[in-house]
Amino acid sequence: MADNRLRYGVHNLTDPQLKDLRAAYAGQQAISDNRGYQYLAGLHGVPGFWCWHHQGNARTAKHRQLFLPWHRAYLYHFEMGLRDRVGTTTLPWWDWTLRPPRQKGLPDAFAVAKVNGQPNPLASFKVNLPTTNPPVIGTTTRQPGDPSELPTQADVDETISRGDWVDFGMALEQLHDSVHGWVGGYMGQVPVAAFDPVFWAHHCMIDRIWWLWQVKNGNANIPADLLDVPLAPFNMKVRDVLNVNDLGYDYAAGGAKIAAGGVS
Amino acid sequence: MARAANTPRRRYDPPKRGGVGKIYTSGKVDISFAGPEHRTYRVDLMIDGIEHGGPSYRGFVFLNNPKATDKTPRDLENGYAGVFDIFAHGGCMGDPGHCEVNETKREVYDFRNPNPLTPARKRVTVTATIREIAKKAKTATVTIVPVITAVNSLCETDDVFKCEELSFVAYN
Repeated sequence: MADNRLRYGVHNLTDPQLKDLRAAYAGQQAISDNRGYQYLAGLHGVPGFWCWHHQGNARTAKHRQLFLPWHRAYLYHFEMGLRDRVGTTTLPWWDWTLRPPRQKGLPDAFAVAKVNGQPNPLASFKVNLPTTNPPVIGTTTRQPGDPSELPTQADVDETISRGDWVDFGMALEQLHDSVHGWVGGYMGQVPVAAFDPVFWAHHCMIDRIWWLWQVKNGNANIPADLLDVPLAPFNMKVRDVLNVNDLGYDYAAGGAKIAAGGVS
Repeated sequence: MARAANTPRRRYDPPKRGGVGKIYTSGKVDISFAGPEHRTYRVDLMIDGIEHGGPSYRGFVFLNNPKATDKTPRDLENGYAGVFDIFAHGGCMGDPGHCEVNETKREVYDFRNPNPLTPARKRVTVTATIREIAKKAKTATVTIVPVITAVNSLCETDDVFKCEELSFVAYN
């Protein structure tokens, strides 16, 4: 939709788009108050512990299956924060199904340690939580696995083919869990995963797959009693995040601006 | 955040990959429901009540191969049936009591969110492998090889895979 901001694949970002993204991340990371990167990343695990995982079971009754809606609300708030820094940027998605030569494991944009002699804000983040138990003070780490172990397009297609909401949600959460483990390091543990800058691109891919499933299946088989469950600490309920267009965004593979005046 | 006086001082070290946890093997389970005389189109291994407070790991599932290890080829010939991943908490990151789930103590009017460590459920679709085994046998064992993807000094590495119940569910 033309009026919506578009989230592109990391592998298709143009140089200006990547520059904007890096500037937005760097701006976020430089802020220490509740608009900043550390505060937002800290909502997921330590110290906030608001995230939802592994709840597709009878023990949690009405609170089941909030993994996808909660993370959509979370990404929305993070993206808004990025756009407060650089208004033209959007969250990109990391398509971990891509194989060489297009991509080998982590996207270069998030892997290179330095850009133009400066630390790459997409590669790591310095966490400073001195009052948690234990204190978490240090730079995020990764320990990627063999790229051939990442989920394939066939895995994604099989997941999307599952028409039942719970069945689909559990299958997608499995792909999600496997990529967290594949990246390793901070990404491998719930309490600290969101401090790694690639967390957001990974979850953007998960959100995109959910949206692809929704385009195909609609929302009719999402349990009605789930719709008014709040997605704390965000000012949203499940029903508020069902349509990404209502949140002002959509997904595209890539894109580039064309000067209206032409060249001749 | 004030720390209780009796809370031991701990340190957080970055998570690393960490070898293989204790391998689980079940007793023999009747799998006649997956035999060629049945119209089963899908069989899931349901794993309920999985603890996820410790290391993160990949749980490789083998049927009728109790000697499977992390080195065993993951193919039909060796009974490989699929994998599940546990994205876990990596030990307690709070003061004493922070990771106690306390499900049974909740009041009716307790609207707080459940503890994030409420045990998990995973399902692994094992259709091709169980069908193959069911052509020749009426029973199968389930072996789970947990290969640790993220662990640090806050969590134990021995008894990594812990669950309350496993079951097969067949659909036709």
